[in-house]
Amino acid sequence: MLELVDISKRFKKVEAVKSLNMFIEQGEIVGLLGPNGAGKSTAISILSTLIEPTQGDVRFLKKSVIKKPSPLRKAIGVVPQEIALYPQLSAEENLLFFGRIYHLKGAELKQRVNEILEQIGLTEKRKALVESFSGGMKRRLNIGVAMLHSPKILIMDEPTVGIDPQSRSYILETVKRLNQENQMTVVYTSHYMEEVDYLCDRIYIMDRGNLIASGTKEEIKQILSSENTISIQANRWNDTFITQLKEHEYISNVHVEEKEITLIAPKEINLFSDIISMTEKHHIDLRSLHVKSPTLEDVFLHLTGRALRD
Amino acid sequence: MKGILLARIREFIRNPFSFLLFTGISILFAWATSSATGGGSDGLPVPVYVEEGADAYENSLKEQDAFHFYMVDKEKLEQELKEGKVDTGVKLSEKHFDILVGVESPNAGLIQQAVQEVYTAETQETLIRESAENKGMNADQVISSYQEALTEGTFDLSVQSFSGEESWKYDESVQRIGGFAIFFAIYTIAYGVVKILTEKRMGLWDRMILSPIRKSEMYAANLLSSFIEGYLQILIIFSVFYFWRGITFNDRLIEILLMLIPYALTIVSLSILITALVKNVQQFNAVITITAVSLAMIGGAFWPLEIVSNPVLLFLANVNPIKYGLDIIQGVAVYGYSFTDLLLPMSVLTLMSVLFSGLGIHLMEKRHIE
Ligand SMILES: Nc1ncnc2c1ncn2[C@@H]1O[C@H](COP(=O)(O)OP(=O)(O)O)[C@@H](O)[C@H]1O
Ligand SMILES: [Mg+2]
Repeated sequence: MLELVDISKRFKKVEAVKSLNMFIEQGEIVGLLGPNGAGKSTAISILSTLIEPTQGDVRFLKKSVIKKPSPLRKAIGVVPQEIALYPQLSAEENLLFFGRIYHLKGAELKQRVNEILEQIGLTEKRKALVESFSGGMKRRLNIGVAMLHSPKILIMDEPTVGIDPQSRSYILETVKRLNQENQMTVVYTSHYMEEVDYLCDRIYIMDRGNLIASGTKEEIKQILSSENTISIQANRWNDTFITQLKEHEYISNVHVEEKEITLIAPKEINLFSDIISMTEKHHIDLRSLHVKSPTLEDVFLHLTGRALRD
Repeated sequence: MKGILLARIREFIRNPFSFLLFTGISILFAWATSSATGGGSDGLPVPVYVEEGADAYENSLKEQDAFHFYMVDKEKLEQELKEGKVDTGVKLSEKHFDILVGVESPNAGLIQQAVQEVYTAETQETLIRESAENKGMNADQVISSYQEALTEGTFDLSVQSFSGEESWKYDESVQRIGGFAIFFAIYTIAYGVVKILTEKRMGLWDRMILSPIRKSEMYAANLLSSFIEGYLQILIIFSVFYFWRGITFNDRLIEILLMLIPYALTIVSLSILITALVKNVQQFNAVITITAVSLAMIGGAFWPLEIVSNPVLLFLANVNPIKYGLDIIQGVAVYGYSFTDLLLPMSVLTLMSVLFSGLGIHLMEKRHIE
């Protein structure tokens, strides 16, 4: 239904997106996953005709929309990464404003605004000014505004950044419900792999402008089918231990956090005894050691050698 | 577009503080520096010290229109001159008068001319009275018919010389009120226009681009509302001085306000041009502050342009909207020019406004790709 064909986008010095191919079918939730600076927002802006690509084509229902964007613009609702609302207007006034801009009028406009307020759970706060809202409420209204004109496709750019867990799950549930009950097609951008894992049917993973993996969740996790992710937990590390891990011939992608080290190793090799003897040698107070089933995070780690979140 | 304007009005009502601040400051500054006695029809204030035996001239002096002569004692006269409150004073004696000049200004010549006329007239009257009495005629009757003839004749003459090209009259109050009003209006207008940049950064602009609303409407709504805010400010300031300070503006306030429409439009256009050239709001604020102050300085908002003699500055003044704005205000309130007399400054302003906004919007659109 909607596709990006070999898209590249260059800002003066930065190549933000490099020959990206992507397609979205009716009724899907498609995830776009990647760390900050991966090029997600740029890709999203090109997909929603807000910026022109340096190269490549955007097609909606098989027709290019770069020069004639209006058919696509009518069909999409875009939830920007920023809070694009008038802080000095109330929730209701914001909705009325954007509704009018979409040529909604009178009773129809009122009814639609009420529906949206209901959907995003802000009916009670309708008269409050946006500047007095919590981060989560702003995010919800940010989504609500994008749905006013009942778009077929909802394009969301990191809609849960910087909010409390409750608002976050509220938003995730809302997206899921919109997709299941209203057959809304959703493009969901995030750098939280759990969100994408939970919501999406198909996933694109980007890093530094490149598409590094794509497919269904299962297909992507298959990338790690011949590897295991091993997690080591302890109270404290020392550098020589980490160095020795990194120098081990079968171990790759050692990722160190405060109390946990994850690493990737081939399935057929049993490393448990090696690791345990290493911890003894370096006086590491080992708490646990186990093999994890691979997550999207691990796939990312495997493909890039870096963690999704910095 | 109605929707955008409506939202803008709501925002304005909820957050009128910067508007009120700029309006208040202009009024405060102009109030503090303008004198209650000045202002259009009253003429420039000139202190007069009258020596004994010269009382007869006092009344005739007060009757003439171009200047506002007021009586003071000797010490007060010297003090006002020394403090620079006035730049010219007059001392009347029985047989002659002195023009006391504190600061060199072209007004001195005009004042001398005015006082001279009074002396000549008085001397003539005395002569006529004496010869009439000698011939046994009714002296008062002769004098009054003489005065009638005189006022008709010389009145035109003096108006000519005061409004003519080569002479100028510096009316402090109108100058200051007008200067501060159009200077501070720049800020109100500029802060309105730069909302385009803020709204772009916030993503509001993108939202509107995706909607069926046209780009031209988006620009028009912003520019129109910025214009209205700035113009409202000018309106309020002039009205305050008209109604509460008794400044008459030559009884042509409405004309002045109407003729200032092109000025406000030019400032709107200048703001959109600057908006298109800067990278962010902070930069805009810096640029607009420097621009407004320089425009005001070389445009005559803080002091009369007539005391500027540097040719470069004078040339710059000719591409400066503030100068034309002040030309209009002074032209009507001080010199009594008509609408057609002021077509030139209005046309220049209109031209600048078209030029700046065309260029500004063009650059803005080219830049948006980033
Ligand atoms: N308007 C722009 N001008 C210049 N560089 C940009 C612009 N927008 C994004 N970039 C650069 O492109 C890269 C990708 O950015 P972005 O698409 O925002 O990534 P993400 O949304 O995944 O965090 C970054 O290096 C960013 O600095
Ligand atoms: Mg982003």
